[in-house]
Amino acid sequence: MPESAAALPSRRPWPEWVTLAARLILGITLVVAGALKVTRLDASVQSVRLYQLLPWDLTTIVGIALPILEIAVGLLLITGTFTRLAAVLGALLMLAFIIGIASVWARGISIDCGCFGGGGAVEASQTQYPQEIARDVGLFLTGAWAAWRPRSPFAIDNWLFAPTATEPDASESEESPADKEPAR
Amino acid sequence: MTQNNRERLRKAQAAAAKQQRLTRIIGVGAAVLVLVVIGVFVGVLFQNQGKVAASSSITPPNATADGKSVVQNPGKAKAGAPVVELFFDYQCPVCKQFESGYGEAITSLAASGDIELHYRTMTFLDNNLNNDASVRAGVAAMCADTVGKYSDFHNAIYTNQPETEGAGYADSVLRDTIPAAVGITGDNLTTFQSCFDKQATKAFVTNSNDLGTQDMLSVNKQVSTPTVHVNGKDLPVNNIAQTGASGTVDTAALLALFQQYA
Repeated sequence: MPESAAALPSRRPWPEWVTLAARLILGITLVVAGALKVTRLDASVQSVRLYQLLPWDLTTIVGIALPILEIAVGLLLITGTFTRLAAVLGALLMLAFIIGIASVWARGISIDCGCFGGGGAVEASQTQYPQEIARDVGLFLTGAWAAWRPRSPFAIDNWLFAPTATEPDASESEESPADKEPAR
Repeated sequence: MTQNNRERLRKAQAAAAKQQRLTRIIGVGAAVLVLVVIGVFVGVLFQNQGKVAASSSITPPNATADGKSVVQNPGKAKAGAPVVELFFDYQCPVCKQFESGYGEAITSLAASGDIELHYRTMTFLDNNLNNDASVRAGVAAMCADTVGKYSDFHNAIYTNQPETEGAGYADSVLRDTIPAAVGITGDNLTTFQSCFDKQATKAFVTNSNDLGTQDMLSVNKQVSTPTVHVNGKDLPVNNIAQTGASGTVDTAALLALFQQYA
């Protein structure tokens, strides 16, 4: 009885479940972070400016595009659509955030990272750079894992990249040569 | 013969299935791209939505040509007088304390022409406090400048600052209460309220915040208020506090401090 209960999904190897968890953790975090910023794009632009990393004119574009990109990548990860591409983008975003936070820390600038909206200058004693970097390193690792092992249950990719039934070698080999898309 | 036909049919079916799969992948990929592009487009649109039409836009008469600040007692400053720039945000409680403690001494030096006093309106606290009260208060103050009441209006905004940071300013306070308190009446009141209702000085205020952010980032490496620059250099607010306790400032010592930093 217990075997038959969830027979199909439980046959998947454990890394696929790790990928599902990684997808959801990174995806939900990105969607929440993006959604909190997208309603206040002026604040998002201001936050980017306070990092003092980019030329002034670029900060406007980055401040507007970043929350939208976060939501898009987050939704792709949650739904498991183009998982590998989305995971690479998510990991790259985290890498960029880690570099940004480390750089303001190294330059002795005291700001709130503005990761989930808000942002702005804070007292030096109120900065949380180590925690923020640790969090982003963790999220980077979830992205790296999902990019390495993109196959997972409950993913649109399973339908999108389903091997064609009439092609005998497609179901045999891991990646049939015709497949340009690496996510399968 | 039949073997060959079957083989050919099977191959054709396989090719069709493969083509269908490719179409599906490209279709979904294109849909995702289109959605992201639409998202960015809508974002930019919303970002520009709040901007006032150029035709109804008003620049305050006492603004500097570079659009950074409003000058107190224009033309009064003596030759070589230090240019004192005061960066403030109307929602900043410390700015209120600074204003009530040292504002009078500083404005008296401007009135005597010993310094050239520039008010630099910042609105970044709107972002931190998630409202738009700093911009609206700034817009009201700039509209007050069009009827020659900037300085009084500026002080009255701080008098009306809510106890809790982030509570913001009601439009009725900015539009009715403060104008009544500083004596904007008759035609002037009509002019002021029309300016405020159209948010005609908003472009000036948001631009002022941008320029102030740039200058503070390059001089102070951070954006915070109150900040004082003398001839473009930072004068720590704590040094001003050493010229006398709040409200009992030695104006001579204050002037000496400004000159020292000039």
